[in-house]
Amino acid sequence: MTASPLYSGTQVSRVETPAAQGATELGVDPTEKDARGGRPRLGVFKFASCSGCQGVLLSCEDELLALADALEILYFPEASSHLQEEGPFDLALVEGSISAPEHLEQIQKIRARSKTLVTIGACATSGGIQALRNFGNLDDFVHRVYPRPEFIAALATSTAVAEHVKVDYELRGCPISKRQLLELITAILLGRRPEIRNESLCLGCKRYGYVCVTVAHGLPCLGPVTMNGCGALCPSVGRGCYGCFGPKEGANTEAMAQRMLQLGMSKDDVRNAFRFITGYAQAFREESARHE
Amino acid sequence: MTAPESSAAPLYRLEEAGLALLLEGLRRDGYRLVGPVVRDGAIRLQRIEGISDLPRGFVDEQAPGTYRLRSSGNGRLFACRPGPQSWKRHLFPPREPVVQLKRHGDSLEWRRPVVEDPPMAFIGVLPCDLAAIRIQDRVWMEGPFQETRYVARRRNTFIVAVNCLEPGQLCFCASMGTGPKAGQGFDVCLTELDGAFFLEVGSERGEAAVASLPLREASEEERRRLQESLKQARLRMGRTLETRGLGGTLFGNIEHPRWEEVAKRCLTCGNCTHVCPTCFCLNVRETGTLADGRQDRERFWDSCFSLDHSMIHGGYFRHTPKQRYRQWLTHKLGAWPSQFGTVGCTGCGRCIAWCPVGIDITEEATAIRKTSRGHVRMPQPRSAPVRAGDPLVPTPAQVKGVRQETPDTTTLWVEPTGPFHWKPGQFNMLSIPGVGDVPISISGQEGSGILHTIRAVGKVTRALTSLQPGALLGIRGPFGTSWPLRAVRGRIVTVVAGGIGLAPLRGAIRVMAAHPRHYPWVRLIYGARTPADLLYPEELELWRQLLHMEVEVTVDRATPDWTGNVGVVTKLLRAGRKVRPDGVYLVCGPEIMMMVVLEELRAAGVPEEHIYLSLERNMKCGAGFCGRCQKGPFFLCKDGPVFRYDRISFVFRHAGL
Amino acid sequence: MNEQMNGKVSKEHDGTRTFRVEMLTRVEGEGRFHLEVKDGQVRKAILHIFEPPRFFEGFLVGRSLFEVPDITARICGICPVTYQMSSTRALEAILGITPSTGIRKLRRLMYCAEWIESHALHIFLLHAPDFLGYASALEMARDHRGLVETALRMKKVGNSLLEAIGARAIHPVSVRVGGFTKPPSPRRLQALLPELEWGLEAAQETVTITNSLPMPEFQQPYVFVALDGGADYPLEWGEQIAVSGRDPVPLGEFEKVFIEEQVDRSPAFHCRLPDGTPYLTGPMARLNLFADRLHPRAQEALERTGLTLPVLNPYRSIVVRAVELVHAFAEAVDLVREYTPPEPPYFEAPLRAGEGFGATEAPRGLQYQRYRVNDAGIVQEARIVPPTSQNQPRIEADLAGLGPELLAMSQEEATLRCEQLIRAYDPCISCATHFLKLDIREVED
Ligand SMILES: Cc1cc2nc3c(=O)[nH]c(=O)nc-3n(C[C@H](O)[C@H](O)[C@H](O)COP(=O)(O)OP(=O)(O)OC[C@H]3O[C@@H](n4cnc5c(N)ncnc54)[C@H](O)[C@@H]3O)c2cc1C
Ligand code: SF4
Ligand code: SF4
Ligand code: SF4
Ligand code: SF4
Repeated sequence: MTASPLYSGTQVSRVETPAAQGATELGVDPTEKDARGGRPRLGVFKFASCSGCQGVLLSCEDELLALADALEILYFPEASSHLQEEGPFDLALVEGSISAPEHLEQIQKIRARSKTLVTIGACATSGGIQALRNFGNLDDFVHRVYPRPEFIAALATSTAVAEHVKVDYELRGCPISKRQLLELITAILLGRRPEIRNESLCLGCKRYGYVCVTVAHGLPCLGPVTMNGCGALCPSVGRGCYGCFGPKEGANTEAMAQRMLQLGMSKDDVRNAFRFITGYAQAFREESARHE
Repeated sequence: MTAPESSAAPLYRLEEAGLALLLEGLRRDGYRLVGPVVRDGAIRLQRIEGISDLPRGFVDEQAPGTYRLRSSGNGRLFACRPGPQSWKRHLFPPREPVVQLKRHGDSLEWRRPVVEDPPMAFIGVLPCDLAAIRIQDRVWMEGPFQETRYVARRRNTFIVAVNCLEPGQLCFCASMGTGPKAGQGFDVCLTELDGAFFLEVGSERGEAAVASLPLREASEEERRRLQESLKQARLRMGRTLETRGLGGTLFGNIEHPRWEEVAKRCLTCGNCTHVCPTCFCLNVRETGTLADGRQDRERFWDSCFSLDHSMIHGGYFRHTPKQRYRQWLTHKLGAWPSQFGTVGCTGCGRCIAWCPVGIDITEEATAIRKTSRGHVRMPQPRSAPVRAGDPLVPTPAQVKGVRQETPDTTTLWVEPTGPFHWKPGQFNMLSIPGVGDVPISISGQEGSGILHTIRAVGKVTRALTSLQPGALLGIRGPFGTSWPLRAVRGRIVTVVAGGIGLAPLRGAIRVMAAHPRHYPWVRLIYGARTPADLLYPEELELWRQLLHMEVEVTVDRATPDWTGNVGVVTKLLRAGRKVRPDGVYLVCGPEIMMMVVLEELRAAGVPEEHIYLSLERNMKCGAGFCGRCQKGPFFLCKDGPVFRYDRISFVFRHAGL
Repeated sequence: MNEQMNGKVSKEHDGTRTFRVEMLTRVEGEGRFHLEVKDGQVRKAILHIFEPPRFFEGFLVGRSLFEVPDITARICGICPVTYQMSSTRALEAILGITPSTGIRKLRRLMYCAEWIESHALHIFLLHAPDFLGYASALEMARDHRGLVETALRMKKVGNSLLEAIGARAIHPVSVRVGGFTKPPSPRRLQALLPELEWGLEAAQETVTITNSLPMPEFQQPYVFVALDGGADYPLEWGEQIAVSGRDPVPLGEFEKVFIEEQVDRSPAFHCRLPDGTPYLTGPMARLNLFADRLHPRAQEALERTGLTLPVLNPYRSIVVRAVELVHAFAEAVDLVREYTPPEPPYFEAPLRAGEGFGATEAPRGLQYQRYRVNDAGIVQEARIVPPTSQNQPRIEADLAGLGPELLAMSQEEATLRCEQLIRAYDPCISCATHFLKLDIREVED
């Protein structure tokens, strides 16, 4: 083998280039963290939502104190009165959909103050259950609920955060899964690819060894077109998935809908099945429109 | 695999009480009994205590996309056909640890956790499923590497098989040669007939287990009844599949319109792969969170229907449902014989029943056969030498030096723990605790240290390229085939490299550069995106000065100070009339580049057997277990990454394989 | 503490003192309050809630009644079970389904689990820091790690129990009209017994701890309202509603007696009694009305506190909540011990048109729903009254009552006192689908 002089001992040196510094592009840059001497800073924000996804964070009972040690919590109104809204945040977790006029500006501010922005939950990633209003007329809804509708300030649609600002990662689910939340936070901080799989719920269902409710009981189940992540909870209790993690990549909703009709659902049922918790996610939205 | 039915193996009659004794005996011997149980409206394979847990009086009705249990109207224990689960979930669990990391001060130690579960006794393994276990044995135990946890479980598993007298609507084991009579591999085999069990012994372990049972030799009449029932069963298969030459037909019809048609119905849900008793694709993930501070690794079932299966940085080889369905069917029925010397389907019918939309593998394969447009010859299985050690356990290595090659590419000079033997073209799996594990070619050696040239494209490669001298990482390897340095001696060798593709070739070039007597004329044609992206510029210069070497470099985009060639490598090949039909070509680069180079070589009349390529696929193990690096009947990790082109041209031509 | 940073602003001119917090913390959802005292007179006492409307009652219309429990769960991520249970109660009434005792017991167990989770969260993570002077439980953990760990462990017991029954703790999936899609196995529940028993002891301890917290003195004349659950402490079932000093109200009369109205120029819907009196629902109401129905273990705990009934100091609700925590643990232990899976797991009945009512006791108070469906089981009208919209006028009245004594305090102390009072109600703002933005204009002027 040629003895090249290029790599003999001390001559090897490291040349710093911008690319090398960008090593943790989407993650929290460790060098910056060191310079500041602090822990990565966390912000938890809420738009239109039920707080369930923040609740999942608070439900990490075994991990919460360790997380609080690893992170500096700058903004988390539901848990702490100490609020530093200005950030800047290394990691922002955003719950809820954009559905009121002032949200438009608030989300821009959060984006500008955050290094990594993660949307959490069906509301933030697809508009949530409240996006059902997108399929109707806002005025009708307002009148149906409120006797003095003139005071209601709401946008015509409830939309995903990603329709307004760049989102670095999203966690699906209504609510999100604890495992995925911990994995994501860990992965971002360690600079690894979060193991959050965009695959069908069926794969999870089968790994757990649940009996398929469609095949064995003839129940409609959105599992084949829904993104895995929850742990196949609905099939585990003998019911079909209702899609709260939203569509998986390349969801073949048309073939799914065919099957649902075959199983005895009416056109209206099929439309409503797709038009549910994540009904405003593109694939589901388009499928429900086919059954108007 | 079926044993001849007329074999005069001793056959005994055992009453139900005797069966209970058999199970009790196995339990006493320390086995955990696993058998069919009715739960949630289906048969599941789970822990049982004794025969009272078995599905007495149940039988299933199956159709595409439908499964129902109903009363059988008789007291038979084993009337049910395959259900949604197969035995693989016990031998190859859906999720299981791979390695655990221990830190001792500054050093790292990866350990493979040992299997602690007690040995299992499988009660009621149907013939098709027995065949499936044998097929998985080939994957995990009979390749170049052994999957140690599988081996540990499998060796200790006691198998009570049950012959099948009532095949179901979706069964086609007779076509696949796996049933209805159990072939090899059982310890004890039962046939449930006329309220009793007829028992055969298949192993010494089985012999010992039945030694004290109240057995009576079967009468001639009973023996005849049994033969007759099995014969009838063979004729009552709900489905058939013609397997003759099927692999060649499937791979001869990669562009058949039927794939598009089935893709419209397919949900890419992957159920078929997860119910299949032989599918083995898996994925690996780093476990551990900030909260628990662990940095372990586990593997879990994956499926070729998941997009991630075919992912490499920036893209997917099998993006469309058509490509994914085709991968599944061609692998199962077509590629498997070349990979493992056996077909991958046992005829159990699970994928038909448990496909939510009832897609039928026999129907699809038959449709292709009936309208076949071509046929190819499939390669024979390659028997690779058995290699020692556990390929999944990294050994620690230390970074001795680091060299920034280009803005995004860095060479690590790494000192492995012990002596390290490799050949140019081979690769290692490099691990960063908590971050991941990726295949990286060995790009050379300096002293006892080996070189890896790594382009930062994603998380693991970024972490690798950020390592500083002194840092620790894990190495597994070397894996894979090497460049044919012996075979090309005395020939005109042309090396064509694109981008990072020079790294896997450098080891080979260094050898050829150092031995002009063996390699009288070596030409390197190398293309990079920009002048700044050129790897090893000083070394290129060194080579250029050698009398027996020619080095030509080109870039896609020039900078003002660049005076050399601009354009793709094929332009260089063509311009200098470099393509000599009598030469040998070693090619590595992006797949699209290799495609155009091949076209150029083909046009110039270079025989396919004089071309060698190094390919790239998603890879999680390097040892032939994860199934992700398949290209048709080949595994990149053990059949490749370096291939002689004539062997793979029939698959390389097609995108999406 | 930097007041600006915490959104606390004070103004003092022309003899007016204003207390306000721009972002209420350690409550579920987003709100603010505004209290203005001029010349010793309270001029304004407003709890503003600026959660955007989510229109649940709007889009429930047109959905099948079987979808309702999965929709209403999403009203609140803290007490989803409450919403699911009131929905199923109302819809089963329409279909004429009377769930079996087994199903009712399992529901009650699920309810206990939610109470455990919610009360443990509120007592320690949301409310206790006020009494001990911390900004959060996480800060509190620095000095009182053991306490916070105990709280988290209790909360986890509640969540584990919810997961065992409903597959997940937030928005459980096994609840359906008629019963459960699939009840848990006895083994799964019994595996939780040791933790539940530990929790029962820890809850007893919690009563002692909360009872020893420094307690501001404050009393108001309250009307208490709680579900009347027959012989049982009010939880998941009841046909009528008890009102202190007045006649009980049958469920079907709810909207006639507890009047939701949009008072002119007032921030939101308020629920008041017909004569305009605000009322209180939640732990204090339940205890004051039904202390005799507490589990014996909880009664012992109550006696140990030395509290005399009725409890009229809202700050003391933290102790009452702890007593209820004992109750929830004690009842859960009993229910798990005697558990057998309900058979059948759910009841079905032919669809028919009709109207039905359902009310249950959320951890933070009474929650009522009413549905009208057509003969295809499609919802025609929905009404949902969350606990917080009922308590809101009461919170404001309390703030007003607090006004005069605040004048003697520093701004910071006074604001904190107000916040502490609001938190005592464990308001759940996302629930309060009726509370709107429309008030903000008034505050900003
Ligand atoms: C045989 C072989 C030799 C290779 N040699 C080199 C080399 O010498 N230098 C070099 O820079 N690169 C080489 N690669 C490519 C290198 O493995 C990928 O760039 C790397 O896996 C990307 O990982 P990542 O985590 O940084 O990227 P991500 O995009 O985050 O990838 C995530 C995961 O997907 C898998 N993956 C992604 N891309 C690839 C890929 N191209 N090949 C295999 N698995 C992939 C890996 O498991 C990876 O961890 C080689 C690949 C193969 C198959
Ligand atoms: S996604 Fe679901 S759980 Fe999360 S906030 Fe929205 S409604 Fe609540
Ligand atoms: S139950 Fe649903 S998720 Fe599970 S395999 Fe069947 S279709 Fe897929
Ligand atoms: S099975 Fe479907 S609906 Fe049920 S929890 Fe999971 S993703 Fe949500
Ligand atoms: S063939 Fe059937 S089971 Fe397989 S991926 Fe397609 S739809 Fe799913």
